[in-house]
Amino acid sequence: MEVELCPILRSFGSEQNVLSRPDGSASFVQGDTSVLAGVYGPAEVKVSKEIYDRATLEVVIQPKVGLPSVRERAREQCIRETCEAALLSTLHPRSSLTLILQVVHDDGSLLACYLNAACMALIDAGLPMSSLFCGITCAINTEGQIITDPSVQQEKESRALLTFAIDSVERKVMMSSTKGSFSVKELQQCIAVSQKASEEIFQFYRDSVKRRYSKIM
Amino acid sequence: MAAGFKTAEPLEYHRSFLKENCRPDGRELGEFRATTLNIGSINTADGSALVKIGNTTVICGIKAELAAPTVDAPESGYIVPNVDLPPLCSSRFRPGPPGEKAQAASQFVADVIESSDVIQKKDLCIEKGKLCWVLYCDIMCLDYDGNLLDACIIALLAALKNAQLPEVTINKETDLAEVDFQKKNRLKINRHPTASSFSVFDDSVIIVDPTAEEEGLSTALMTVVTDEEDRLCMLHKPGGSSLSGEKLQDCINRAVMRNREVSKLIDKVMESVKAKK
Amino acid sequence: MKDTPLSNCERQFLLKAVEEKKRVDGRQTYDYRNIKITFGTEYGCCIVDLGKTRILAQVSCELVPPKDSRPTEGILFFNLELSPMASPAFELGRQSELLVKLNRQLERCLRNSKCIDTESLCVISGEKVWQIRVDVHVLNHDGNLMDAASIAAIAALSHFRRPEVAIQGRDITVFTPEERDPIPLSIYHMPICVSFAFFQQGTYLLVDPCEREERVMDGLLVIAMNKHREICSIQSSGGIMLLKEQVLRCSKIASVKVSEITELINKALDNDKRARKEGGKFGFAESMPKERITALKKDEAPVEMTDVQDTANEIISRTEAQPDIVKVPSPVVPAPGTGQVGEGLLNTWGLEEEEDEEEEQHEKEEMSTGEVMVLSDSEEDDVVILNPDANKPKRLEGGSKKGVEAPKKQKTSH
Repeated sequence: MEVELCPILRSFGSEQNVLSRPDGSASFVQGDTSVLAGVYGPAEVKVSKEIYDRATLEVVIQPKVGLPSVRERAREQCIRETCEAALLSTLHPRSSLTLILQVVHDDGSLLACYLNAACMALIDAGLPMSSLFCGITCAINTEGQIITDPSVQQEKESRALLTFAIDSVERKVMMSSTKGSFSVKELQQCIAVSQKASEEIFQFYRDSVKRRYSKIM
Repeated sequence: MAAGFKTAEPLEYHRSFLKENCRPDGRELGEFRATTLNIGSINTADGSALVKIGNTTVICGIKAELAAPTVDAPESGYIVPNVDLPPLCSSRFRPGPPGEKAQAASQFVADVIESSDVIQKKDLCIEKGKLCWVLYCDIMCLDYDGNLLDACIIALLAALKNAQLPEVTINKETDLAEVDFQKKNRLKINRHPTASSFSVFDDSVIIVDPTAEEEGLSTALMTVVTDEEDRLCMLHKPGGSSLSGEKLQDCINRAVMRNREVSKLIDKVMESVKAKK
Repeated sequence: MKDTPLSNCERQFLLKAVEEKKRVDGRQTYDYRNIKITFGTEYGCCIVDLGKTRILAQVSCELVPPKDSRPTEGILFFNLELSPMASPAFELGRQSELLVKLNRQLERCLRNSKCIDTESLCVISGEKVWQIRVDVHVLNHDGNLMDAASIAAIAALSHFRRPEVAIQGRDITVFTPEERDPIPLSIYHMPICVSFAFFQQGTYLLVDPCEREERVMDGLLVIAMNKHREICSIQSSGGIMLLKEQVLRCSKIASVKVSEITELINKALDNDKRARKEGGKFGFAESMPKERITALKKDEAPVEMTDVQDTANEIISRTEAQPDIVKVPSPVVPAPGTGQVGEGLLNTWGLEEEEDEEEEQHEKEEMSTGEVMVLSDSEEDDVVILNPDANKPKRLEGGSKKGVEAPKKQKTSH
């Protein structure tokens, strides 16, 4: 099946240090999807939750309407394991790191936006990390085209939706969450597309941090 | 002496086995544990299946009820899966509301049902906008020794294949549903998804079907769900160390082979039940 | 997580400053902090910044059966949540006193003041009415949550549009926003809360206390008022005793502030309406400040796709499955309804001591006999699978230490 590839990334932007109370905070906007992330840590941890040789990371996702459901818990697990792999948590034993994500508006590729906002908030908090990560969502529509960063309308019309977290050191896949069925070839193509798209996002991270500290350095 | 070494340095213990390309229980890196399947054991449920992968034991029961379809989907029924990890199966689960592992597993099963289209929801509709079937799939783990998700999917698929629903007609005059318990139909299964779980050690070695100890020491876990046409229904990797495209491809190939194994098992067991009748 | 406690010297500093009519952030006693209101792309979503305090409000609607006591009225539901992001002291799932107080005050201010016409929310009397749900999330706590929450809630309600419905007998058709334009809620007036913090048993008062001032205050007076100078609710907490003149003075200050704030809300609503009509960009993405050093925006960009296909094909071909493992292990069916495949680690329910090959041979031999099958000959365990039709109970593995010849009766999974 010949696949026509013409994916684009929607315009994205971010703001760091948005909130005054959390140790690190960032807002990430992809097209119309907007997520706010706040990080507290390293802080005191409850004795029941403490781990003797590393920091305890807790991720909380707050939906806009209603109480958090099973879907949010599954997403929390994905994001938590991704962050744990990237953070150097052994540098802060017996302490807690709390990451709170609040969706402000959902217009597609929400999980990817969560990951990007989380990474920017962790950078803003100054937590030591072994690598950065970014989230990319690919949608495969009924004709077999791969669309990156789909909007809600495009997500509804697609037959498969794949979200990957790519790490910055070797561009390998850290996390993957998929919906719908697809062939092996389509999967490998989506991974290759995500790896290419992640270059843009990592360059963006670099530019924002450089801009932020431009007056100091 | 080995037991002492295992308690003191569990990671080194496992590493020394992995260096020789085998595992503490004698398996190869790509070998699954013995999978046992038993269907139809619960008489009060409409369909049931019990699966054992090594020591991990999971039982799935399906109950069908009649309900009105939701407003935004008047022509479809729905399937409600629920995974329960009671304190019986392992000391790490406490009594009380479902923990994160159970909730994540429930979401995983729900996603697999939706992504793989295992049952067409339209087949569950009896009368558009008025009456439809709701299938409650309760999956309970009786013994947790790693690789929960694989067992859940096999149990669910076998139970769905085993389930028999009575015939329901709507009486035109009284507008009530009439259930005929004598006539029973099996569910029409579209696809046959199978899950295979892998765990990554030290960012480099990939092993198949981890036990609970191996899961605790691994740096990443991954589950691949394929169906009988070798299409992927789900690639579930909730974080952990990163994997390159080639390693993922290896895992997918192994998963495809496992699918064939499990399909044969389920088919044979179903045949044996039918042959008896 | 615990919040850092306030030190004694900070407390004394703040109290001394209040006595000298000075505030830590340089405001006057009756000054409000800067209020910024932004609306999102979907109707009913609003973020309010009161200084550094940030609050998000979202309004949604649903068709539900009405309450039995009021079959012709719609339902209003308010839910305020203190996000753990707002302060390290807020924990998820904990019903703190502050949360209950804020929820009650918000309900009193908006529901009991009858600012929204609930009769217009009725679709079919006694059967279906609109339930309007307002979710308020506190994102950053820098004092005076009540005021900001009320501003956010009423701005979101004014911004919200509900879908239009057509009734034909007993059938209701709800039109999507593309088919027919959604209609706004009918709001009679806009009640807004104004908070006054009292120090030294009511001698000094401050309007719009920030978080530090809230910690050292003695009592709080909240007056909810609308721009027509009607008081919707008054709440005094902290146990301070106020004189009649003080309360009247506060209400006069409140009326001035409320009219300013109401004008600000209306201006924001007009700006948003104009932006939507002219087709300009609106929403949170636009309202992000571009000139700040901490913010960066990047435009739409295509992703380079030059050799994606080749990379993908290469990976697949490089890792082709070995063709010699084509033979798939065949499963074994010892009894109807039970099957087993694989020779990896067998389970420990029965302590197997025999080899696997012996077992398999046994299974194959006994498959045809039907009644009783012994899976293993070991003395330790007694693995028996009985025919389910004969209505004998099934027992998968034994665990007895001594060798058992006859199968024991035991109930299995039910």
